[in-house]
Amino acid sequence: MARIELRNIQKFFGAVQVLKDVNLTIEDGEFVVMLGQSGCGKTTTLRAIAGLETVSSGTISIDGKEVQDLRAADRDIAFVFQSFSLYPHMTVRENIAFPLRAVRMSQSELDAAVNEVAGVLGIERFLNRKPSALSGGDMQRVAIGRALVRRPKALLMDEPIGALDAKLREQMRAEIKRLHISRGSTSVYVTHDQIEAMSLADRIVVMHAGLLQQVGAPEEVYNRPANLFVAQFVGSPVMNVSDIAVEGGAGAAVLSFGKGTRLPVAGGHVGHLPGQRPVKLGIRPEAVLLRHAPEPGFVETETTNIEPLGSHEIVDVRLGDATLRARVEPGFVGDGQKVWVGIDPERAHFFDGESGMALRRTA
Amino acid sequence: MADVMTRLEPDTRAAARGLSDLSIRNLFIIPTIAFLIIFNVFPLIYSLYTAFTDYRASTSAPANWIGLGNFRELLNDPNIWRNFTITAKYVVISVTGQVFVGFGLAMLLNRPIPLKGLITTLLLLPMMLSPAVVGLFWKLLYDPSFGIINFFLGLGKFEWLADPQMALWAVAIVDIWMWSPFVMLLSLAGLSAVPKHLYEAAEIDRAGPFYTFFRITLPLVAPILMIAIIFRTMEAFKTFDHAYILSTQPTTELIAIRLYKMAFLEWQTGMSSAFAYIVLIVVVAITNIYVKYLNKAKAR
Repeated sequence: MARIELRNIQKFFGAVQVLKDVNLTIEDGEFVVMLGQSGCGKTTTLRAIAGLETVSSGTISIDGKEVQDLRAADRDIAFVFQSFSLYPHMTVRENIAFPLRAVRMSQSELDAAVNEVAGVLGIERFLNRKPSALSGGDMQRVAIGRALVRRPKALLMDEPIGALDAKLREQMRAEIKRLHISRGSTSVYVTHDQIEAMSLADRIVVMHAGLLQQVGAPEEVYNRPANLFVAQFVGSPVMNVSDIAVEGGAGAAVLSFGKGTRLPVAGGHVGHLPGQRPVKLGIRPEAVLLRHAPEPGFVETETTNIEPLGSHEIVDVRLGDATLRARVEPGFVGDGQKVWVGIDPERAHFFDGESGMALRRTA
Repeated sequence: MADVMTRLEPDTRAAARGLSDLSIRNLFIIPTIAFLIIFNVFPLIYSLYTAFTDYRASTSAPANWIGLGNFRELLNDPNIWRNFTITAKYVVISVTGQVFVGFGLAMLLNRPIPLKGLITTLLLLPMMLSPAVVGLFWKLLYDPSFGIINFFLGLGKFEWLADPQMALWAVAIVDIWMWSPFVMLLSLAGLSAVPKHLYEAAEIDRAGPFYTFFRITLPLVAPILMIAIIFRTMEAFKTFDHAYILSTQPTTELIAIRLYKMAFLEWQTGMSSAFAYIVLIVVVAITNIYVKYLNKAKAR
């Protein structure tokens, strides 16, 4: 069990800077998910913690001890690779026993440890098989078993279920969560899948272009995104973002979407916005409201596309220059029909049009 | 009408090209088959026949069928067994040397080093030379009075090739020099095929360099290394050119040299055919043992 601290980590590959001053503290027993697009630096950060990648500057400490100059083998950290990285010429048992055998553990202790881990992961049946005879999910169970068997200080996982099919991913996600809860080991998990991040993490670290964009609990990252990138990266379907102009003042205001389309909102929701600067409105599909009949605060429009998704439908509506996507009950409205659209101002997010930073009410 | 046209079409197209697919196929296959029959199949069968006769190619006397006479005589001849012993010793020294030198070089080259391509190419040169040329210039290198080897090793007038004990080693060293690059090339292919992430996994699993080498690198390269060993063993058994040029010592009389002398100096054509078949059987038997190991290594 361990507390991991990254201080001012920078990493260059040649002239390209992939990590720009990363600062992060991972508490003992915490499950942290690093979320971002490919190439954002999340895997490099993980590999730097493991010792598979050197850092150009900055310090990495595990339980207060600086490790950035130690070899991976001396950091006592386990790593689960996306490609599983099982030793193809060894049986499952030999694969799991490898980290113990490498440090010359006695045979009886080794057998006990392997059997225990195999029991936890439900892979006792495969112990004498080669990895090539296993399914993707079982291979990843073996890889996780090999990582857990020596009770490492921390468990690092690099898109461990990224190579599996959707159904298996869901199942493995639940298993990883269960394992984390039962073992309580400090875990750092890298993924580009925001659903994985939301469902697994104690805290999510959103990365983009080598920088940490936001670090926070899943609800916080979802409900209070720090900037436009986070707002659009987290959540599915993607948050609607449109350029708006704010007119009016303290009492009542309107949001202008262009082409004369204006939505009135209570002034309290927009009073904090800067007057002269461009502003973007971010609104999640579940906060876009549709009505069959006119209501105050709603404007008339037409649906332009409907995506049925079983439990709900995503409806596209035009609003001035913008297209908003709304989440509604199945069968709520048909394609090309007249509807009245409004937004829930409590769940509206405003961002600076230039910097993309969230503009929040200070109160 | 349209039906007739479609049926005619393939032929008309072939005629437009000048040759049908079938005749092009025959054009390529027939010469190959003819060469194979004339130079491989016929001699193989004819020599099997002569192996059971007292045929001598130097006389016009007709061949007499003598059954297993040649085989009986050869297998009872202690000199032939001595040739086999010498050859076995030579094969072991030479193939072992090639595996260690070749695999070692491959390990050195299997990392990012400057001028890697150029170094690899230069290292491959020996195996592209003609064995006879190699024999001739190693004779100069080994020369006791002006050879560069004695000069560099400070051995004075050491007789590499005249010394009955040393001569076989000297011949084997030349073979190692010439064919280690072959083992290196195959090993390099094997080593670069080991996925890098396995080494990363081993590093994370706290395996030291030796443990990683013996538990990961070697088992994964073993099948291709075994192929190199099979090839080199078969070739080493047939060594003739450079050995014949380098040394006339009885202690370096490999089976190929003995066979050559028997066939073309003593003109015992029937006897030498029988000898050649014995060598063939031995080589096939040894190769079979290797192939069994190879399959085992592959299954792992």
